[in-house]
Amino acid sequence: MTMDSMTDTDLPPMAGKPRDLGPPIVVIQNVQKAFGSNHVLRDVSLTVRTGEVVVIAGRSGSGKSTLLRCIDHLETIDGGSITACGNLMGYRRDTGGKLIPLGDGKVARQRREMGMVFQSFNLFPHLSVLKNITLSPVKIMGESPAKAEAHARELLARVGLPDKADAYPAQLSGGQQQRVAIARALAMRPKVMLFDEPTSALDPEMISEVLDVMTDLSRQGMTMIVVTHEMGFARAAADRVLLMHGGEIVEEAPPEEFFTNPKSEHTRLFLSKIL
Amino acid sequence: MEFSWEHFFRFLFGEYMLTGVWTTLWLACVAMLLGCTLGVVVAFMKMSRYWAPRQFANLFIWVWRGTPLLVQMVIIYTVLPLFGLKLGVISSAILALSLHEAAYFAEIVRSGILSVNKGQTDASLALGMTWPQRMRYVILPQATRIIIPPLGNQFTLMIKTTSIASVISMEELFRRTQQLAQFEFRVLEAYLGAACWYLLMTTVWGEIQKRLEAHYDRPFGPLSDDDGKKPERPVTGDAAAQV
Ligand SMILES: Nc1ncnc2c1ncn2[C@@H]1O[C@H](COP(=O)(O)OP(=O)(O)OP(=O)(O)O)[C@@H](O)[C@H]1O
Ligand SMILES: [Mg+2]
Repeated sequence: MTMDSMTDTDLPPMAGKPRDLGPPIVVIQNVQKAFGSNHVLRDVSLTVRTGEVVVIAGRSGSGKSTLLRCIDHLETIDGGSITACGNLMGYRRDTGGKLIPLGDGKVARQRREMGMVFQSFNLFPHLSVLKNITLSPVKIMGESPAKAEAHARELLARVGLPDKADAYPAQLSGGQQQRVAIARALAMRPKVMLFDEPTSALDPEMISEVLDVMTDLSRQGMTMIVVTHEMGFARAAADRVLLMHGGEIVEEAPPEEFFTNPKSEHTRLFLSKIL
Repeated sequence: MEFSWEHFFRFLFGEYMLTGVWTTLWLACVAMLLGCTLGVVVAFMKMSRYWAPRQFANLFIWVWRGTPLLVQMVIIYTVLPLFGLKLGVISSAILALSLHEAAYFAEIVRSGILSVNKGQTDASLALGMTWPQRMRYVILPQATRIIIPPLGNQFTLMIKTTSIASVISMEELFRRTQQLAQFEFRVLEAYLGAACWYLLMTTVWGEIQKRLEAHYDRPFGPLSDDDGKKPERPVTGDAAAQV
């Protein structure tokens, strides 16, 4: 289910020819996160540069989703800091350098710079595909409906669903729903896209249609942080692959090196199970 | 004494009882409207992240659900004046009924909102929506379909519960029936007439409710495609949980 799904995509692997990357856009510094006594992120640091595609793998419970949710401040953090698109996510510093939580409206504004795609799609079931995509641009960003609709149709064409604008989410397959979810996130013109296991809830035959869209996106220079077990995607699109284990990043390498010459014991074990 | 059809029909369509029916009807509507509005406010107070509104809501719900409406009504009408707050019969009845309704409706609204999938909040947060925007565009439209059926039941209850206002001498259907029965010594005829009117009101409302529910209970989006067939695509993931 991992490599097979990419076989019909004849994209050459990108490893070995590093792309031109821009300045750092997401900077995670010594982040700590605990749920009660469960210490989920232990001193995680990571810098992602503009245009970079970072794939995060790791077994269940290793803290991948939590890290991604912290970047979008869907979870608060207990220590360290996260800067994304120039914003200190969820906080401001007082004169002494102490972190003060921001209010709901301020955090909402910070989130508008990033897009997030979830394992369970989370489309709005009461709205048509078109309305799902234009809701935020029109109601939140104040774009004109006509302009937002034109952009939405453009995005739908880009994710391969030009004729589904008037459908409702319940009428779409999982793969189609996830592609709409990607279009919905892109409608906000995000600088960074976060993906949390976007294909894990999909039937095998629908996985590649979503991965193809994501690969396209990466070719177009989108900065992406992708939690996935689709190692075929990692090979084809990632600049860096990370392995999380027990709330720490235990491996961090270009795909070529990650797959052929991992340094960590955990990576070898992980690869032996998944490949 | 034999049952008198003549009395029965005279009561049933007499102006005296009809006026009572009308009073019952508008009393139920006004109390419901006010009660639901207040109930929404209490529901949001109960879900507040601040301590004070949460505790106020808890206290409100505790008191108004834990005491009989009969007692509440009498207290509002007879005890409040001792503290300088003199309300007329109609105001007292409306106040008691709507506060009572608010306590129940608050819990209905709250559970409706909490039943909306957590992923919907995640998605709307990630799209940069503030709390009012999330509520207005995403959460409440989905909570409505869960709230509608119990809301309908509450109104049926309300139509019947208005009869309690008779204890503070509000001239609604029940009190007028009592009076008819006493004036003419025709107890069975009078109360049977009242029962018919209550049954008619609740039945008509029941029909309206059924239609409302059918409207809100269909899966989101058009039920069928143009050709009249159900969508052939499988319902997956989040949508499956919603439909
Ligand atoms: N909201 C929460 N409340 C309490 N504990 C949580 C919460 N979210 C996650 N956890 C716990 O944090 C740990 C890491 O969870 P996380 O979802 O980040 O893992 P993951 O790497 O994404 O795993 P998976 O591959 O299963 O998605 C787990 O032990 C999980 O039980
Ligand atoms: Mg996860």
